Amino acid sequence: MFFKQIRRNASKSRKDNGLLFGSLIIAIVAFYTLLSLESQDVMRFLKTIESGAVSKLMLIIPLVYVISLFFVFFLVYFAYRYQMDNRKKEFGLYLMMGMKQSRLFAMLMGETIWNSVVSILIGLPIALLLTEGISLTTAQLVGIGIIGHRISLSIPALLGTVIGFIIVQIAAMMFLCFQFGRKELMQLMQTDSPDKQFIATKKGWISFILGLLFLITAYGIGILMLKSFDLRVVTLIFVFGGAGTFLLYRGMGSFLGRQIRKKGPSQSGLFTFTGRQIQENILHQHKELAIASLLLLMALSCISFGIGIASGRGAENTRSVDFSIEGSEQDISAFLNSTENDALIAASYPMFLDQLDTDTHTFSWGLDAALSAQPKTDLRDTIIKNFDQQSEYPYIISQTSYNNLLQSINKESIQLKERQIALYTSFRNSLDFVDTLSGAISAGAYVKIDNKSYELLPSLYDENIVADRKITLYSAMIVSDEDYRNWAKNSSEPFSWNVLLSKDSVQKNGLMQEIQSMENCLKAAGLSYESYISGIGRNLFYTVAASYLTIYLGVLFMLIANTVIGLKFLMYQRTNKRRYLTLLTLGAGIDDLCSSSQKQIRLFFTLVVGVASCSAFFAIWSMFTSFLKLPAGMGIHRVILLAGIGFFLFLFIQLIYINIVERASRREILALNITDRR
Amino acid sequence: MHSNRILQVESITKDYGTGDHKTTALKGISFDVLEGEFLGIMGASGSGKTTLLNCIATMTKPTSGNIMLNHQNISSFKGGALADYRGKEIGYLFQEFELLDNLTARENIILPLSLHGMTGKQGEQKLRELANHFDIVSVLNKFPSQMSGGQKQRVAAARALIGDPSIVLADEPTGALDSKNARILMDKLSAIHKEQHKTIIMVTHDANVASFCSRILFIQDGCLFHELRRNIRTETTDNFYERIVTVVAQLGGGSANVL
Repeated sequence: MFFKQIRRNASKSRKDNGLLFGSLIIAIVAFYTLLSLESQDVMRFLKTIESGAVSKLMLIIPLVYVISLFFVFFLVYFAYRYQMDNRKKEFGLYLMMGMKQSRLFAMLMGETIWNSVVSILIGLPIALLLTEGISLTTAQLVGIGIIGHRISLSIPALLGTVIGFIIVQIAAMMFLCFQFGRKELMQLMQTDSPDKQFIATKKGWISFILGLLFLITAYGIGILMLKSFDLRVVTLIFVFGGAGTFLLYRGMGSFLGRQIRKKGPSQSGLFTFTGRQIQENILHQHKELAIASLLLLMALSCISFGIGIASGRGAENTRSVDFSIEGSEQDISAFLNSTENDALIAASYPMFLDQLDTDTHTFSWGLDAALSAQPKTDLRDTIIKNFDQQSEYPYIISQTSYNNLLQSINKESIQLKERQIALYTSFRNSLDFVDTLSGAISAGAYVKIDNKSYELLPSLYDENIVADRKITLYSAMIVSDEDYRNWAKNSSEPFSWNVLLSKDSVQKNGLMQEIQSMENCLKAAGLSYESYISGIGRNLFYTVAASYLTIYLGVLFMLIANTVIGLKFLMYQRTNKRRYLTLLTLGAGIDDLCSSSQKQIRLFFTLVVGVASCSAFFAIWSMFTSFLKLPAGMGIHRVILLAGIGFFLFLFIQLIYINIVERASRREILALNITDRR
Repeated sequence: MHSNRILQVESITKDYGTGDHKTTALKGISFDVLEGEFLGIMGASGSGKTTLLNCIATMTKPTSGNIMLNHQNISSFKGGALADYRGKEIGYLFQEFELLDNLTARENIILPLSLHGMTGKQGEQKLRELANHFDIVSVLNKFPSQMSGGQKQRVAAARALIGDPSIVLADEPTGALDSKNARILMDKLSAIHKEQHKTIIMVTHDANVASFCSRILFIQDGCLFHELRRNIRTETTDNFYERIVTVVAQLGGGSANVL
């Protein structure tokens, strides 16, 4: 009987609170997705090449999990408090009839555990499917290929999710039971009267205006001063932004009140009622609204940051060399010419790169004038200073080597005439640097070697000359082979041998597979090398680590914020049920009431989403103009397009929530139908 | 009789529940209400008086029988016609006032007009008249939480009358008021009844309040049990009160002592 009652009550609370139940299931999916990151194909792959970084990330994940459990705890606590408030009278009755407090406690705990089990039983299979999907898609996207796929079921993640989720549920319920246990029976039996309306005062207006000013200040500081990324600036933004949001919502009621007073008398229907409902809702729940709005802001910022990093990193590396091999020419030639490797290799060539021998030759850059003609920025001055310092040991690359590289990736070769030199840099990701330098050389710049002037070609060359990071060059000169032989310290030995894998086999088996099989061959031959895979590994790691975590947190914040807003609205509607009944008695139609509640929900969400979106716009703007640089090759229209798609998706999710709340609210209003109910 | 019959209640019954759990709240009640009448309905708790009022207010449907207001059968109303009837033809005064506590007094009073497509500006003149009559001008811009119980009920009364309804239904309107405020409200309602010949049906179990009525129906166990008519010209409120108290006392002692 006892267990039957527990099951019945639990199923009723799930039905009454579909919104919360759904959100909890999504939370379970999110938890498992986070915890099972380690067993995803991409991570297993990364472990083999970046094991240090991966294990550091795996240390952070439990911390992120605990933080998210903390947030979910508040959501659960808040939602259960609302449920228990609704059932207060029922509990009072049980106690009146002689039920022991301990039995009531056991009943509530039983219901909580039962509901948790149901959520887990629904959530986990979805989570397993989803992680499997993510694992396969990302593996496919980065080219690890299906061969390396392993079912990503992770028992520790499974246990972690179940234990974490149940602990949060039980902890929230215990807190509430403790609070309710201290209430007198009479308090339980009384129905709470809805919050009293109070007149908007001057204070409200001051709050509203101050809130606006604070927010504008925070936006301004963000855009103008975040570049320095000073902790004090960040603190200021948080203080002004947070306080501004709270003050704005605190005073928003007064603003709405004024609008209603102004427009109300000339409107018919439920205009005034709808307006007053929203005003009251905001007056009494401004703190929750501010928190929800800030959570949404965090969600939007986190997700944009994640997407920004993911798409930025993705665009970073253009593949020009797969392997840079070091060793004696003999060994390398033997390896490259062996028949078994032949099919794998599309191109191989020595990369001649060395320092200019300044002991026997004089050298000076003639870039100062051209650089000084560029728009004045801090960066320009730094570039001028750096070039001055770099005249001691400038690097030179032989024209044939670089042309081999260009040919292997189907690009046009460089044609150097006499007394011509091309400028090279591997800092292609620093857009501003590339822009300034390109501007300078296209305006006409030169270098002086042995007192002879050499013209710099007007375009800057920036293909990666090694497979990964064997060398990074702030600047180097691509010179004719003859000049190279004359000027290099050691012109006979190449810096490394570059290898590019065959397109056909890459297409057939995937880049990762091919690189791995080539690596095995190189290892077997005892050659030391670096491969493109380490660069990919590093990039992938940053992409996965940063975007995965931030998007995860973003989704979680969005989930919590929306559930809070939705529940707050439904709670408010339930406490004010009598008003709807009165309106029906006064002659309002059911449809009028539904449309009023629909307007209330839409405006309620808009007020939260609106402020959050506005703040997010400035937050993202600040981020992208400060620490999150746009990667090279990523045009602003692409960013706008991405942001647009992202924001559209965000709005779409909001619409889903609005729709869920509208349906719930409509159901409650229809259930009020006055006939035979009072 | 020179007056018109505004409301005809024809053998209405009302059952709650089905089968073994069936309870009959009204057992075939019939009566007429004349235009401009101030009718009281009295009875012990559970006698069916509020159910009767709620049937007239269309808040519940009678199981059988007809209720005709201005010769229209209101039991058959549905949807828009029902909403129109509620807002335009009847004004309802609740025991617990039922003001919307997030609207000001002015907004509360105007509400029935707004619901039927009128704006506050159009109803301003009528609002002012009623506010003066019920002495609530000073609280028009206040919210219910800032008013006394008496003021709240007078605001509710103004709301019930703003749409100029054919009939005002009041369910224990003084139930939540102290005697002073109850007296003020009844004086004001009675004045409206006399000056504007407004038809009022009021459920009460307070003999004092009932003495303001021109006729009283007594209900017991779902049946019409007794009727008292006040002779407006010759009988004072006090005398009528005496008569009511006698019937109420007899009601308490059971039907064997009456008539």
